[in-house]
Amino acid sequence: MHFFSQAFNYDHPWSHVVIGMWHKYPNPKCTHVVSIDVLDRSVDPQTGIIRTERVLGCKQKTPTWIVKLFGGSEDAFVREISFVDPATQNATITSVNLSLSQFATCFERIQYSPAPSGRTSFSQTAEIQARMALWRTAADGLEKWLVQRFEQNAHLGKIGFTDVLRTLWEERQMQQATS
Amino acid sequence: MAHSLSPECTPLKLEYDSCFNAWFEGYLEPAVAASASPKERANYSKQKADEFQQKCGKVWESYRFCVKKAVKEKGLDDLLQQARDENPLTEPPPPPPSSSENPPS
Repeated sequence: MHFFSQAFNYDHPWSHVVIGMWHKYPNPKCTHVVSIDVLDRSVDPQTGIIRTERVLGCKQKTPTWIVKLFGGSEDAFVREISFVDPATQNATITSVNLSLSQFATCFERIQYSPAPSGRTSFSQTAEIQARMALWRTAADGLEKWLVQRFEQNAHLGKIGFTDVLRTLWEERQMQQATS
Repeated sequence: MAHSLSPECTPLKLEYDSCFNAWFEGYLEPAVAASASPKERANYSKQKADEFQQKCGKVWESYRFCVKKAVKEKGLDDLLQQARDENPLTEPPPPPPSSSENPPS
């Protein structure tokens, strides 16, 4: 498991930052985000909390060894859930990758809350974890396949060499008989 | 505003985003102010939730229909369902312990 975290303040009040949240993309500095779709959105009529589920499409150059090994592509998708709570002045955004999620997960959490002198604190954490259990089944599968291939090859080797020996010595016998 | 994952949904998406943003910008600051009392908050929230439905409900239905189809065509529906099963996130996550007090060096 790998962790990432950072925290700093934006020089804008909380409400401006949270309104700005919906205008972050497209962004010439973050060209890897190419599409955003809202899948679900609700406004709680009691608490006023807005929950939004979105799917973000990303395009980023992937090292060829990763594409070859995991069969991914340059297109990757992320599920993002956000809560905006006006009462506590908290906005949280939780994201997890959908692409390659059978191999590893990247779980990201962002929080915006008011900071002194009209600023807004931003904190971001991420946990990146390979799915060991699935790795193990993949490794198991690979071993089984290798054993099968080995057994098959060993069997064919025996048959093949039997043929070679028979042909060789039958020929020699015939040659002896005729000489 | 960013495009939809499917070009055919982009016009509906942009219309829906504009509708939401206009509503949200009018909603947020009064919502903070209305949070002083639970009763006032509930009144305001109910009124604004209805208003959002009334203003953006129609374009939302069209956009949702379009994007649902696109998500399926991209083969994302199973991955999404798996992510929802693993972590429904129906409630706001609890704040991390003293996250703002320990900024990384």
